[in-house]
Amino acid sequence: MVVTYNWLKEFVDFDLSPEDLSHRLTMAGLEVDAMDKLGEGLESVIVARLISVDPHPDADRLTVCQVDTGGEPVQIVCGATNHKSGDYVALAQVGTVLPGDFKIKKSKIRGQLSQGMLCSEKELGLADESEGIMILSQDLPVGKPFFDAAGLSDIRYELGLTPNRADCLSVVGVAREVAAMVGQPLRVPQPVVPEEGDAIENQTSVEIVDSEKGPRYMARLIKDVKIGPSPQWLVRRLDSVGVRSINNVVDITNYVMMELGHPLHAFDFNLLNDRKIIVKCPGKSAFTTLDGQEQQLLESDLAICDGKGPVALAGIMGGENSEIQPDTTDVLLESAFFDPLTIRRTSKRLGLHTESSHRFERGADVEMVPVALDRAAALMAELASGVVAKGVIDAYPQTISRRQVPITLAKTNAILGLELSLEQVSDMLASIGLGVNKDEAEAALSVDIPAFRPDLEREIDLIEEVARLNGYDNIPVTMPSGEAVDLPVPVHQKMVKRLRDEMVALGFSEVVNYSFISPSAYDRINLAADDSRRKNVAVLNPLTEEQSVMRTSLLPSLLENISHNLAYRSLDLSLFELRPVFRVVEGEELPYEPTFLSAAICGRREPLGWSQQSEAVDFYDLKGAVESILDAALVKKLTWQTDESEPYLHPGKSCAIYSGKVCLGTLGEVHPKVLDAYDIGEPVYVFELNIERLIETTTGQIKFSPISRFPDVYRDSAFLLDEGVSAEQILATVRGAKGKLVESVVLFDVYRGKGVPEGKKSIAFRVQYRSPERTLTDEEINKAHGRIVKVMEKQLGAQLR
Amino acid sequence: MKQRLEDLLASGRESISAAGYESELQDVRVRLLGKKGELTAIMKGMGQLTAEERPVIGALANKVKEEIESLIADRQSVLKEAAIEGRLQSETIDVTLPGRRVKSGSKHPITLVTEEVTAIFASLGFGVEEGPEVEKDFYNFEALNIPKDHPARDMQDTFYIGDETVLRTHTSPVQIRTMLKYEPPVRVIAPGTVYRRDSDLTHSPMFHQVEGFLVDRDITFGDLKGILTTFINRYFGEGIGVRFRPSFFPFTEPSAEVDMQCVICGGSGCRVCKNSGWLEILGSGMIDPEVFRSVEYDSDKYSGFAFGMGLERIAMLKYGVNDLRLFFENDYRFLSQFA
Repeated sequence: MVVTYNWLKEFVDFDLSPEDLSHRLTMAGLEVDAMDKLGEGLESVIVARLISVDPHPDADRLTVCQVDTGGEPVQIVCGATNHKSGDYVALAQVGTVLPGDFKIKKSKIRGQLSQGMLCSEKELGLADESEGIMILSQDLPVGKPFFDAAGLSDIRYELGLTPNRADCLSVVGVAREVAAMVGQPLRVPQPVVPEEGDAIENQTSVEIVDSEKGPRYMARLIKDVKIGPSPQWLVRRLDSVGVRSINNVVDITNYVMMELGHPLHAFDFNLLNDRKIIVKCPGKSAFTTLDGQEQQLLESDLAICDGKGPVALAGIMGGENSEIQPDTTDVLLESAFFDPLTIRRTSKRLGLHTESSHRFERGADVEMVPVALDRAAALMAELASGVVAKGVIDAYPQTISRRQVPITLAKTNAILGLELSLEQVSDMLASIGLGVNKDEAEAALSVDIPAFRPDLEREIDLIEEVARLNGYDNIPVTMPSGEAVDLPVPVHQKMVKRLRDEMVALGFSEVVNYSFISPSAYDRINLAADDSRRKNVAVLNPLTEEQSVMRTSLLPSLLENISHNLAYRSLDLSLFELRPVFRVVEGEELPYEPTFLSAAICGRREPLGWSQQSEAVDFYDLKGAVESILDAALVKKLTWQTDESEPYLHPGKSCAIYSGKVCLGTLGEVHPKVLDAYDIGEPVYVFELNIERLIETTTGQIKFSPISRFPDVYRDSAFLLDEGVSAEQILATVRGAKGKLVESVVLFDVYRGKGVPEGKKSIAFRVQYRSPERTLTDEEINKAHGRIVKVMEKQLGAQLR
Repeated sequence: MKQRLEDLLASGRESISAAGYESELQDVRVRLLGKKGELTAIMKGMGQLTAEERPVIGALANKVKEEIESLIADRQSVLKEAAIEGRLQSETIDVTLPGRRVKSGSKHPITLVTEEVTAIFASLGFGVEEGPEVEKDFYNFEALNIPKDHPARDMQDTFYIGDETVLRTHTSPVQIRTMLKYEPPVRVIAPGTVYRRDSDLTHSPMFHQVEGFLVDRDITFGDLKGILTTFINRYFGEGIGVRFRPSFFPFTEPSAEVDMQCVICGGSGCRVCKNSGWLEILGSGMIDPEVFRSVEYDSDKYSGFAFGMGLERIAMLKYGVNDLRLFFENDYRFLSQFA
């Protein structure tokens, strides 16, 4: 909603600077999104008089004008053709900067001095288009700033209104708020309509068929109008609030809507079949609105019909068939009240949002219906020389009565933390035009709600008005008292926090991707056609196909992140994401949203540097990270199973991660085909863990094991083993050799090559022995280690090297 | 013998001060005081002394020994000092070569802000609750006093999953879920991901919010002002101006938009605050009785307030991030700045 400073002054006297008014409106809940000063910076454009206009000696299309500026006359070269000597004009003096950053300089045009510019409306920002320069009224004072002299200086406020404040969708509505602010009365227009000739009811009729959707319909008939341009003041007024002028009759309806907030519609009376109006739902039909669009109406849509069919979409837009024409002579003027929900449903469905529907769907003022009608009729008589028929039609089968809402002082003060008196509350509510009946004994009020405030329905609504009128700033700042609340931290939150902290400690950077992805992502990561992850939670109205399904895996986005970063030459990457995925659950309305942790690495192990190795990362870097993570999560009994994996992983370099019998996720090198699909030209390693499974398997609690105070002894041994024997088998075997004294086993070398036969590998490990009770003897250790060697030989066919 | 002892001391003194290295000094000690050293040799003559002379010479010999030992100790510390000094002078490195760094990880700025905001509210007694991102219309709208066909639904463009399911447009449904789960008093904040069907330079279809609410006996609008003023001052700095102005949310009444003094220009007006000197930072209000009705709280007995804020906006102001899209591009050059 746009209002201007001067327009507001027509309805209320106030003494606030433009800046103060802006601040006060914002603090009253009518947020000023923008404030523009019309004519600001154009003070050096003055009213001037043309003393003489002569042809330019060296140019056919130019004139040389001597101009009276109130002081020294100046010479101007002008390219327009619509001026003559004696005309009053707007002169931009040297130094003026016109809209569009156009600076006026002293210059010579074809040899003739020009000391300024005679302006058109367009050049002054007063119109989008204009022909020739502006010729002013001769009663303006020569030499004075033009905007002030012509009464054009004004301040435009763009208000960002909240949907509850339908009452402020008009200049009068905003003025009512200003009146309450400054304690001055509001002047609502009291139009006097000059009536003539045959009474309206002899010439037309209005019938309401559906009075629930269309409770009130008033009409006036204005004959013999002369359709033409509106006077300048009206054009400018509309322009100042962003409405384009069309013709006098249409402009008047728009003007009254802006002024009083009530939408009106003007029909060409002679285009109405049977010269009558029926308010009803015409049923399924096609109807062309005046924007030339054909609309498909449903049974539930309310229309204004004539004897034959729809002539307007009630409260939204008129029809092409009854629109005001340049040769229209008789106008049927509508001022009505429609059910907000009906208007909203139709407008929303048809995507037809108009100034009119905007007001009706938020709740128009049924008491404003006759005022707006008379105001527009009077203006049509004045500005379009129309003859207003005697009387009005007011079809209003069931009067909508005003709401009475009670409010108690106790509740008001309790909610707001104030100590207001009944008198104060009463005065505040009265200041915005509410009717107040005091009940001193009960310390309560019964408030009579005028129709312009459909949002005030309950006590709390009135309490909000009291808070607003009191000023939020004047409510004291306090801290809540009350008992402490015990809300334990859920396991899930703790786990997520621990994992995130651990990932960061391991050098991973966290990413956040959109939860919606493209369904084609599953092809890119090579999922089988029947993979359950292709069963998506789909968005019905996505912005793009790329954001149309809720992801069931974090991997596609993570690969995109890798691809993006490689393209920008960030080469050594460790990224992770820790967020929910979305899985359809049959028979459930809501999907299952388990949290997943996914990570990807590529590039060098350490950043390039003068003393670092710059080896490429591999499977074991990421596996180490997984091990650390699962340590931090207190998940034990891990096994790495190669017989299951993922279609997006390299089959020989990937595995599933188990804790006992629970699968936690997968780990591996990304399949070369998938890398291709993401334009990634180097190995990438990824893991994906289902956090819910971690929560299932975690021991939840760190458990301390005592440490020995006695010295350790270690033995290193290397064995020749078949390639097929896995490290896990070896470690399990060593641990299984019942060495009570074994404190740890570290596999520290894997070697193939010289000295090791084909098909074999050399594995070396260090066994650390220690007793909790005593210092071990060489003999004991040799015996224990000997047993391990034997078991290795026997169970795995190992050969001690 | 006395003379010999005195000569030993004199020559010893000379040798000690002449010793240039610790090893040389060690040789001198052995030569003078060792088992086969000069002092021992002299002392072998003790037997030939008279009973009167013996204690006198004995005492002298001890004195000479002590003297020599002390001289050696002194010399030793001088030499040690010199040796260290010499080593230090010969050993230098280029300290301007870059250090060997461990790759440091980083939390996403949205996570950082979430954790910081959560910590402040935790210190004010608020627990953390979470809820699903695909949400029922009931929790996201109906129970929050946003019926179907209400103009307030236009305030939030919604992604639909089904007729009755949506991607939650705010974290407020967690309010409903929490109140259905617990009886008052409750003090909870709910950080989370939310979705709105809007995408341009200043809107992302997915973003993050923190919702918070408190329900108890005798909670007033003044308490709302108190908690939120405390939060803003703790997070953005003591003394930052805060103002509350009327606004509208279907689930609160009275509702307030909370502005803080622009942290970029200090309130004098700049591009970020659109020259107003104020930045909109929070939406808030007293919980609407309709909301209490839908969770079966007695609004005659209890009152409460709720608030919500956009975390991207907070992060942008806190870290000076100038482009919303950066949060979701996941460029390492962006992410690594939050290490």
